[in-house]
Amino acid sequence: MTTGADTRTGPYLELFAGRGAGGPVGARRQQAIERFEAAGFPGSRDEEWRQTNLGPILRARPVPASGQVLGDGGALPFLYPDCDSMVFVNGRYAPAASSPPEGVTAFSLADPAGAGADLLAEHLGASVDGRASCSADAGVHPFAALNTALFEDGVALGIPAGAALERPIQVLWLSAPSADAAAAEGGAQASIEVSFPRLLVVAGENSQASVIETFAAADPAAGGYFVCPAAEFVCGAGSVVRHTRLQADAAGAFHLGFQHARVDRSAAFDSSSLAFGGALVRNDTVALLDGEGADCTLDGLYVLDGSQFTGNHMRVEHRQPHTTSHQLYKGVLDGQARSVFNGRIYVHQAAQKTDAKQTNRNLLLSKAALANSNPQLEIFADDVRCTHGSTIGRLDEEALFYLRARGIGFEEAHGMLVHAFAREVTDKATFEPLRRDLEARLFASLNGVRSNGQGG
Amino acid sequence: MLRVSDLHAKVEEQEILKGVDLEVKAGEVHAVMGPNGSGKSTLAQVLAGKEDYEITAGSLELDGEDLQEMAPEERAHAGLFLAFQYPVEIPGVGNSYFLKAAVNANRKARGESELDAMDFLKLLRERATLVDVDEALLRRPVNDGFSGGEKKRNEILQMAVLEPRLAVLDETDSGLDIDALKTVAAGVNALRAENRAFVVITHYQRLLNYIVPDHVHVLLDGRIVRSGGSELAHELEEKGYGGFDGARAEA
Ligand SMILES: Nc1ncnc2c1ncn2[C@@H]1O[C@H](COP(=O)(O)OP(=O)(O)O)[C@@H](O)[C@H]1O
Ligand SMILES: [Mg+2]
Repeated sequence: MTTGADTRTGPYLELFAGRGAGGPVGARRQQAIERFEAAGFPGSRDEEWRQTNLGPILRARPVPASGQVLGDGGALPFLYPDCDSMVFVNGRYAPAASSPPEGVTAFSLADPAGAGADLLAEHLGASVDGRASCSADAGVHPFAALNTALFEDGVALGIPAGAALERPIQVLWLSAPSADAAAAEGGAQASIEVSFPRLLVVAGENSQASVIETFAAADPAAGGYFVCPAAEFVCGAGSVVRHTRLQADAAGAFHLGFQHARVDRSAAFDSSSLAFGGALVRNDTVALLDGEGADCTLDGLYVLDGSQFTGNHMRVEHRQPHTTSHQLYKGVLDGQARSVFNGRIYVHQAAQKTDAKQTNRNLLLSKAALANSNPQLEIFADDVRCTHGSTIGRLDEEALFYLRARGIGFEEAHGMLVHAFAREVTDKATFEPLRRDLEARLFASLNGVRSNGQGG
Repeated sequence: MLRVSDLHAKVEEQEILKGVDLEVKAGEVHAVMGPNGSGKSTLAQVLAGKEDYEITAGSLELDGEDLQEMAPEERAHAGLFLAFQYPVEIPGVGNSYFLKAAVNANRKARGESELDAMDFLKLLRERATLVDVDEALLRRPVNDGFSGGEKKRNEILQMAVLEPRLAVLDETDSGLDIDALKTVAAGVNALRAENRAFVVITHYQRLLNYIVPDHVHVLLDGRIVRSGGSELAHELEEKGYGGFDGARAEA
């Protein structure tokens, strides 16, 4: 390990030292920090991380987010009606603001009791400690390991076998950094408030559930903070798990997320990742299709402006026969925004009759915006169908003219066309309050686009 | 209403319109005829404000206002409508949503109150019946996957809903069977009024059996080489465009 790595990993190791490793997953946390220490942060030669500039995050000294407490009703603007909810502020459970679901095992990781402890002991961290990890070449995910070692709190949901939840469960992760945290004074090293939200969903056989994660800042004008979440989904045989991940962090935020799904026989994991906020955002998704007939749908939308960066790194592993995966990621980029889509599909030798489809489409609204798309197929079975396609295009000028020729102003016409592009993803939100929220966010970001995009 | 004077326009360094003069008064129907490539669509697109074409000389006025100073949407607000020769497919934008946005954008620009969903639907149904557009088309994305005939009917529907003062129809008749042609003509004739005018661009005389023009112009190689009454269309039908070569002086 180089000295450079020491100065970067050191402060994170210190966070762990100060925290200790007790509780039902203490040993696993210990193991995670050791793996992190051995691997260190990725360098510029690491293929998976080459295009993600971690500098701004790693140059700052991490301090646990502790900042403000949330005032009464402070979470309300972010909560959907007709939902059960669990609210976390700076990674800690806020029971007063939550209305946890009934009929499922839902508890805060800080205070697991009874059956909860068993759920944790069996499943938490399985995705990063090797029991359910990817093929060897995937290596250690440094931020997932950090999350396992350092999370303070989080939520575990156990959906009983056969249960079909009628209402979605919304998990709200609010960041509320203290106002002065991010400011660097003179020559002193800047500090950054960091939180490690952790979600575990264990869906019993033939159960059905929908979980909506919302990442946001209590104060949208909040300065820089670093949120480093990890989510694990264990989808039992025949279960149907829907996951929506709405990332709407403050403009200056760093967000490095990891999500992992293990999908058992005839189960379906359906995930939608919608990224609107943050300065530097990454979202790493791993889906293991681990039983015959397992299926996953991974959709995503990123809407970027200014100097925002968003990376989506996908790894779908087909491990068993007759497994299917569909990925559709769409990006709208304005300003000098940049995006990376890395889509790896790995078809194991045993996974005959795999049907895998991957699509990444990008719409560039300015000359300086840049989208990168790298499909990677590794296929070791011979009877499979794998397709991938990626496009990087601009707004259809003919369509824009047609709309304007009918009297629709430039801005509205522009918005209609971007919306038309994005709705392929947003329309999949069947939960009406969520779909309306997504539309509103899309139009709000288009308003930003309008005010500075017309000249570009 | 419309005054085009000595209009020259080029695209990619190639001059396409080489001095077009055209004057259209309220209540009139003008037909512009000419062979393929003579510049008919260029004239139409320049009128609507397509930026690909550069106007190198001449002027365009609608009710005395300089069209060149106006954005495409402002021309629409002023009452100009172009039925495209090749209507654009816009996946992801619903046809009736689009029409409502268009109607209300125009109303707003003219200082009128916007139509609510109910009133709009009523208007839309009424006009769809008038031009024989199947309601299923209203629920589909704009022109997306429409047949050629459906696209043309959709243009006429838009015209019927937007009620322009000057409508330019660019080969709305091409590719239509006789029934569709009659419907399109019926749509136009229903809208004919004292305060409206039409410029009907066509390749064939056929449409003019149903929409009888007051004036017919022959556009050849970027110039109007001859103008006359509706009998000129019949002459063209018999003689073809060949007979008009070098006939510019008669114009
Ligand atoms: N956008 C364009 N780019 C290049 N050439 C064009 C463009 N539009 C028209 N032209 C050329 O201009 C000429 C006239 O075209 P057009 O106006 O479409 O004729 P018409 O509608 O009478 O058939 C043709 O030679 C055509 O190739
Ligand atoms: Mg033409």
